[in-house]
Amino acid sequence: MPILSILIALPLIGALIVALVPRRRPELVLPIALVVSIPPLVAASYVLWNFAVGDASFQFTEHVVLVESFGISWSLAVDGISLFMVVLTALLFPLSIAASRSITEQVKTYMVLMLILETGVLGVFLSLDLFVFFAFFEIVLIPMYLLISMWGSDNRAYAALKFVLFTAVGSAFLLVSIVALAVITGDQMGTFANFDFRNVLQADLSTTTQYWLFGGFAIAFAIKVPLFPFHTWLPDAHTEAPTAGSVILAGVLLKMGTYGFLRFNLTLFPEATVDFAVPLAILAVIGIVYGAAVAIVQPDIKRLVAYSSVSHMGFVILGIFALTTQGMTGSVVTMISHGLTTGALFLLIGMIYERTHTRRIADYGGLAKIVPIYSGFFLFAVFASAGLPGLSGFVGEFTILIGSYLTLPVLTIIAASGVILAAIYLLWAYERVFTGPVVNPKLEGLRDLGFREVAIMVPLVVLIIGLGVYPKPVFERIEPSVGIILERIEATTGYIVPERGTPEGVVDVHYGQVSESPDHEEEGG
Amino acid sequence: MQNAALLPVAFEVVLLVGALLIILVAVVFERKLRYWGPIAGVTFLAAAGVGLLQWRDVAETGGGLFFSAQNESLVLSPMVVMDGFSAFAAIVLGLVGLVALLGAWDLVASVRQRSVEFVALMLLAVAGLHMMTATPNLVVIFIGLETASISFYILAGFIRRSKTSEESAMKYFLLGSLGSAMFLYGVALTFAATGSLSIYGENSIRNFFSVEIITEPGILLAGLALMLVGLFFKVSAAPFHQWAPDVYQGAPSGAVGLMAAGVKVAGFAALARIFISGFGAYIDTWAPIVAVIAALSMIVGTTVALVQTDFKRLLAYSGVAHAGYLLTTMVAGVEGIPAMWFYVSTYAFMIVGAFTVVSIVRGPTSGNAPIGSFKGLAKRSPETGWLLAIIMLGMSGMPFFAGFIGKVFAFVVAGEADYLWLVMVGTLTTVVGFAFYLRVVSTIFSSAEDDDERIEPSMSARFAVVISAVVTVVFGIVPWPLLDVVRDALPL
Repeated sequence: MPILSILIALPLIGALIVALVPRRRPELVLPIALVVSIPPLVAASYVLWNFAVGDASFQFTEHVVLVESFGISWSLAVDGISLFMVVLTALLFPLSIAASRSITEQVKTYMVLMLILETGVLGVFLSLDLFVFFAFFEIVLIPMYLLISMWGSDNRAYAALKFVLFTAVGSAFLLVSIVALAVITGDQMGTFANFDFRNVLQADLSTTTQYWLFGGFAIAFAIKVPLFPFHTWLPDAHTEAPTAGSVILAGVLLKMGTYGFLRFNLTLFPEATVDFAVPLAILAVIGIVYGAAVAIVQPDIKRLVAYSSVSHMGFVILGIFALTTQGMTGSVVTMISHGLTTGALFLLIGMIYERTHTRRIADYGGLAKIVPIYSGFFLFAVFASAGLPGLSGFVGEFTILIGSYLTLPVLTIIAASGVILAAIYLLWAYERVFTGPVVNPKLEGLRDLGFREVAIMVPLVVLIIGLGVYPKPVFERIEPSVGIILERIEATTGYIVPERGTPEGVVDVHYGQVSESPDHEEEGG
Repeated sequence: MQNAALLPVAFEVVLLVGALLIILVAVVFERKLRYWGPIAGVTFLAAAGVGLLQWRDVAETGGGLFFSAQNESLVLSPMVVMDGFSAFAAIVLGLVGLVALLGAWDLVASVRQRSVEFVALMLLAVAGLHMMTATPNLVVIFIGLETASISFYILAGFIRRSKTSEESAMKYFLLGSLGSAMFLYGVALTFAATGSLSIYGENSIRNFFSVEIITEPGILLAGLALMLVGLFFKVSAAPFHQWAPDVYQGAPSGAVGLMAAGVKVAGFAALARIFISGFGAYIDTWAPIVAVIAALSMIVGTTVALVQTDFKRLLAYSGVAHAGYLLTTMVAGVEGIPAMWFYVSTYAFMIVGAFTVVSIVRGPTSGNAPIGSFKGLAKRSPETGWLLAIIMLGMSGMPFFAGFIGKVFAFVVAGEADYLWLVMVGTLTTVVGFAFYLRVVSTIFSSAEDDDERIEPSMSARFAVVISAVVTVVFGIVPWPLLDVVRDALPL
């Protein structure tokens, strides 16, 4: 059974069903959209359930050649990295759809666009053919653009266009690199061009070529992540987007960038990866600190969360370019965790915004007394995002820091300050919004969360705790796939992945031997 | 004349017969639409069918040259060529003509008693366009060019009471004639340099290059340059594009579709035939020039389109950019021809569909089409709104629409030809292009004050737009059949 093709097709079929809802029955649109967004989640769960643990190779592979001469194929597969992105996507869409009750204008178009968006995102995470990957990567822009520009808040036209232009500029570099890569691969295989990931992997690329292609891919993904200094589109887009748009943007669209780095940059261009790792890690650390610092002073709560994304995604990039098993595994875990926690935060902000129509922190105060359930959920999400041990955020970022300390100790120390800054901006925002006296009379008599809203939040809460307390099932699925990337880097370059606990000059715990480094005695003493 | 055959010229013959029949019907019977509507439609369909027959024949026999004089006293080069190239052009032009006729039908209906000329001119124009693609003789290419151009000058000025229509026709005529004249001068200089007017055959330009080496190619290069510029005028490549926005904007909306689509198809076919097939030996000389013009067209077309407030002008400038992408395929030589065909054949349908929507929204005889008037189109006429959105995304080069495949194909062949800088320019202008195409899309979906004012497109116009959008989507998602076909659509 081509489960992955089915998985990609299901939201599209759902979109068709939603499109067929009669014009006179707009109230049916949301329930139907919610129902049709469940099958993709079921299919994704099926894939998760049947995923062979410990197997590093691609699973559930599907391969149909579409154009022989161009080497374009419909080639899908999951590995430990894409698996969780797919599940996260399939999970966040039903939640965002359920949270979209405040959309009253053109609901049908809205839901159709959401479901098309889901197809696009799933396609990005599942495609192994560069051509098809690029097609999905690019098509995601259209529904997102329309979601922001039609249902966003005041400054939506500007934000939507900025989002598209930034991302599309990146895509342009990506497309040029993909075309160049396909042509080179084709030349070496004796065909016109070849876009298939597994063939591209075999291509013999000179170091200079790798630099250029790595650069092209990296710009596209860095804008998507977004990595400092390409992040300026993100606060605008996140802030102006409707709630569901923000959730999907932060929850899954940003991950397309980090996923792209893992899947393509690191795998296809190992030499360039090793040479560019430190500059990219530096940018990541700047992003961590800068994003967090800017988040502290934001007067708009949604903008604050948006900037926190810049900081969190910086951690992910740092973990990836630390080039250690722990760092990369931690990055994937943080990608999952960030999707859950930021998704929860945006959903919660959306819920209060529906009631008060303001996002300014200064307009709030003392909410905890008025809406205790809401405040409880918000505090939980704040703790999860700030990395409280026992919740998902901690697991990911802690693993990243462990991993990156092995190769980039100085940067890691600076990056660790991001964790503290996160606590500052999140808890200070919580303090201003939820504690103290109720200053704003409009807040009196606010309705607390209803059953529907609690039902939206509960799955996220459960998963955040689950991932925080028992992350082993996630780790053991990610690690082999990450390991294979590092193995390839080791095999093709002079780089050696440091073992955990055995940096140079330290007692090798594994074998109980003492390394020959001269400064051993100082360390030992 | 033993090699005279009907099939190679059947496309033109069918269209001429159709045009004459319509005029006869109009003279004999009353001037009523109900007669020549179907006649013209059937004629276009038959012409496309002829294209299919030619395609099959070429697949079996390999095509060939026709109508060359055999006796000693009269040395004439072959006048007609039938190959995959011309047969594919016939299919595309026949179908584009049909869709354009459907799209223009509101206009035809509104000009009442003069509609017979309108329909006949459309048929003649398409005959001329195909003549440009199906001959090895440079002079015959010129004749085809003029047949089409003169028809289009009249179509542009068809609404006599409208000043904008007249202005449009006049501008088109003056600048179009300049282009034609340059092309003809180029042909003359080429003849002076090579002693031949024919691309194929015994005394052809190609043979001349294979046996002779021109040590002082000044005259030849001047001829090449003039022919290039003449055709650049016709396909509205920058900086020879200034006529296009004014002409498109002023001409009646119903008539612009065929004008924009047909000239692009035939113009690029002629460029490919003359330069790749005829002057392939000089590709290193002309390809850099074409590359520069391509880059210029993409940049100028895209950036100027950004600030347009009139939808027809926007389409004109986007057409300049599309000319740039099409020229990008040319630098790859023969390898680029399939990419050119894929791009231009899908673009032709899209542009016809786009202008049909303009004619639906603004009325078939309208000149101006401010983008603001498309506000809320998705509510005033949901299907038209969605279809126009699809066409816009198709033109912008979004994945899963035909324009994307066309662009990637163009970029791949240009990349193969080591014009990576041109690919860079192309991808970047594509990105910038998103800005104005998406602006149109969000205008369509935005709310307007007069939301309740429904627009009911006529049956024929609706049909034209649907076909155009279907082509955009189908060849965006399953382009393989067309990709296979265009690979065989090569000149002899």
